[in-house]
Amino acid sequence: MKRVLIADDASFMRQMIRDIIEPEGYEVVGEAADGVDVVEKFRRLHPDVVMMDIVMPKRSGIDAVKAIKAADAGACVVMCSALGQESLVIEAMQAGARDFIVKPFKPDAVLATLAKVVEKAE
Amino acid sequence: MDLAKYRALFLEEATEHLAEMSRACLALEKDPASGDSIDLVFRLAHSIKGMAAALEYDAVTRLAHRLEDRMAVWRAQGRVDVPEGLALLFRGLEGLERTIGAVRSTGVCPEPDEGLIAALAAPPDGDGGKKA
Repeated sequence: MKRVLIADDASFMRQMIRDIIEPEGYEVVGEAADGVDVVEKFRRLHPDVVMMDIVMPKRSGIDAVKAIKAADAGACVVMCSALGQESLVIEAMQAGARDFIVKPFKPDAVLATLAKVVEKAE
Repeated sequence: MDLAKYRALFLEEATEHLAEMSRACLALEKDPASGDSIDLVFRLAHSIKGMAAALEYDAVTRLAHRLEDRMAVWRAQGRVDVPEGLALLFRGLEGLERTIGAVRSTGVCPEPDEGLIAALAAPPDGDGGKKA
């Protein structure tokens, strides 16, 4: 079972991702509400995948990707973005994010992206 | 999707965001160049936009999106214009409060406030809201 860490400052979004992925066999090992928390939890929990919002308090998603990749170059991070954030998505991918999904989430797209990054990581 | 569950989550979290946004707007009234407050309103508007989009609350999504864009303009500019920009910011906050309040009281999202959405639209010449 693949272990996922979810990071978004909105508990609404964290719950939505959890509800999409848990029934499909993913284990949510933790949730983070800001960019500092996600880096700390990544170091402690060693998830297979991090699903992370780009816009977060305390530390942006892009800074958090850099910190996670510095801690583990093989870390698998999927960014959660919104329409109109294309430049931030490009920046996040350059910082080492593996892929991205766009809000509002479509369950099929979330699961397909997750399956793709997990497969590539294996 | 369990709409009732997500509607309740939305109303709870959006209400907290609006209270926080209101405090940030008051801080900007005292210091229109407060980068922390501009960032906070930007992030809260972004968060409300994401939640509302998931529930297909078009009026909330569009209003929050425009406010987010407008905050990005002021962030780049380093300050909110006074008094025009500040007045626009408070109109945006009140518009979100009114629209989300209607969702709470009626269970459905009202029609978009096109006038306010147009007023918040980021100016192409980057005048920071003086012409809005």
